Amino acid sequence: MLQILLNGIVSGLLVALPAVALSLTYGVLNFPNFAIGSMITFGAYIALFFNVDIGVSLFVAAGLAAVGLAAVALLIDRLVYRPLRGADHVTLLVASIGVYFVLENVVRFLFGSDIRGYDVTVARPHRWMGLRVNNEQILIFVVAFLAMVIVWFILMRTPFGRAMRAVSDNPDLADVRGISRNKVIALVWVIAAALCSTAGVLVGMDGIIDPLMGWNYVLPLFAAVILGGIGNPLGAVLGALIIGIVEEMATLVLPTTYRQAVSFVIIVLVLLLRPHGLLGKPRISR
Amino acid sequence: MIGYLTAILVVVLISALVALALNLQWGQAGMVNFGIFGFFAATSYVAALSSLAGYPLLISLVLAILTGVALSALVALVSARLREDYFAIATLAFAEAVRLFLLNETWLTGGANGLPGIPRPLSAYSSGQSYELLFFVMALVLAAICFAFAEALTKSPFGRVLRALREDDLVAATLGKHVLSFRIWAFSAGGAILGVAGYLHSSYFGYIDPTQFGAFVTAYAFMAVIAGGRGSNTGLLFGAVSVMVLLEGTRFLKDLMPFLDAGQAASLRLILIGAGLILLLIYKPQGFFREHRLRVDKGDTK
Repeated sequence: MLQILLNGIVSGLLVALPAVALSLTYGVLNFPNFAIGSMITFGAYIALFFNVDIGVSLFVAAGLAAVGLAAVALLIDRLVYRPLRGADHVTLLVASIGVYFVLENVVRFLFGSDIRGYDVTVARPHRWMGLRVNNEQILIFVVAFLAMVIVWFILMRTPFGRAMRAVSDNPDLADVRGISRNKVIALVWVIAAALCSTAGVLVGMDGIIDPLMGWNYVLPLFAAVILGGIGNPLGAVLGALIIGIVEEMATLVLPTTYRQAVSFVIIVLVLLLRPHGLLGKPRISR
Repeated sequence: MIGYLTAILVVVLISALVALALNLQWGQAGMVNFGIFGFFAATSYVAALSSLAGYPLLISLVLAILTGVALSALVALVSARLREDYFAIATLAFAEAVRLFLLNETWLTGGANGLPGIPRPLSAYSSGQSYELLFFVMALVLAAICFAFAEALTKSPFGRVLRALREDDLVAATLGKHVLSFRIWAFSAGGAILGVAGYLHSSYFGYIDPTQFGAFVTAYAFMAVIAGGRGSNTGLLFGAVSVMVLLEGTRFLKDLMPFLDAGQAASLRLILIGAGLILLLIYKPQGFFREHRLRVDKGDTK
């Protein structure tokens, strides 16, 4: 039981990183970014390139991946989302499907569709008080926790974060107060890219790397963000943890292949019963 | 040559039907169905299973249509009250759930191996190349019926209410229109057309597996609807044909660039699709055709 809880928390933390990214972009840009999955994949592959093809350590490769993915995200924003600024959110979400196609297939084009892995040595799991914990899980725990603290600090304790929350709450008012929307959006993309690439590397270490790895996270991500309340990063973390734990629990009664169905059920239930999520404020839609 | 041509035309017809359904659901009623591939997959599998069980054309077709209508009504009932972006997420989640079911219930769907050897309809009457032609004619007739159905809905008072809902559901509700039931009907009408598309898809290819239904189906349909001008059924035909021309045309990329392997050529095509979708949204968001507007003669306005 405790083992399941542990596994659930770890896989929830893995979902939490990109969920925070999704929540931030949702709040500031006001559309659900379906390309989030391909950002995870892209980040994982940049790290793969540096780690396996160039041969630097995975730690350095992960840093380079964050920088690389941030550049890619800024480029996409400049080419795709900025010309569409002010368009309705359906246009933007259809555009994000387009971005998803381009990113995932650039990965396929450059790296092929085969399953890959990082150049890391696999250690035996530790035993601790009857629990089986492997190194990847400890790493996920530490990295995800650190990343979340950093993001929380940026959001709540810096002028940038205040500007970001202001734009998220009311873009027009923020504009009147002289906050540059484009600067805030750029910062959001950089943070989102760093979170996604970190998640990509962690997913790749824990499991496998293939072009679909990110897409498989899209549903749990949206489930986490909706559960926590859209545009509320803290809620997204909470939502992600719940999803992770429920998914692990569900494997007790369901075949493991149906793990993802948990996200579907949660999305439907939340949208039906409490569309603004656990921590979100009820908003008048439209 | 006739074989190749009819093959392309049948594929165009099928994707035009999927786009036609999306045009009703999203173009007219404003319901962003991101999970259209899930509905399409479900109807295709039902058609395939009933054909494999030996049911004749008409029964398989009707079963596929009923599946489309029932699933659409169910999903719409649950999620039609949601805002557009939430609706998109909910339908996508539904489609992924369908995909999971198809992949894992091997006893019914064959899992990842799919269902081979689906009997082809009307094969008693013809064979070889003339069969291809016969199938194309059948597909054309079915598509024409769907098109007429969609066009009639669009021009009817029902279609007018849908467009009113799309623009502002509060106003429509204030005018005494039952928003939820209109949305469910519109979504189910789209589901019926997806049933026809699913039937044609499974019986034409004679083999289906879960990889034939992915997010790319959604992307093609959205491209066709946007290119054709959201809400315009005529424009949609143009949109569907041009998307297919783009798709088929990019098949020849491999001949132009022989240094690419098959996987790379395939991914390059999908990159172009994604880029095409984005360019369309940026430069031609209204599409190339306008949706149907009620015309009032000047004489009538006195």
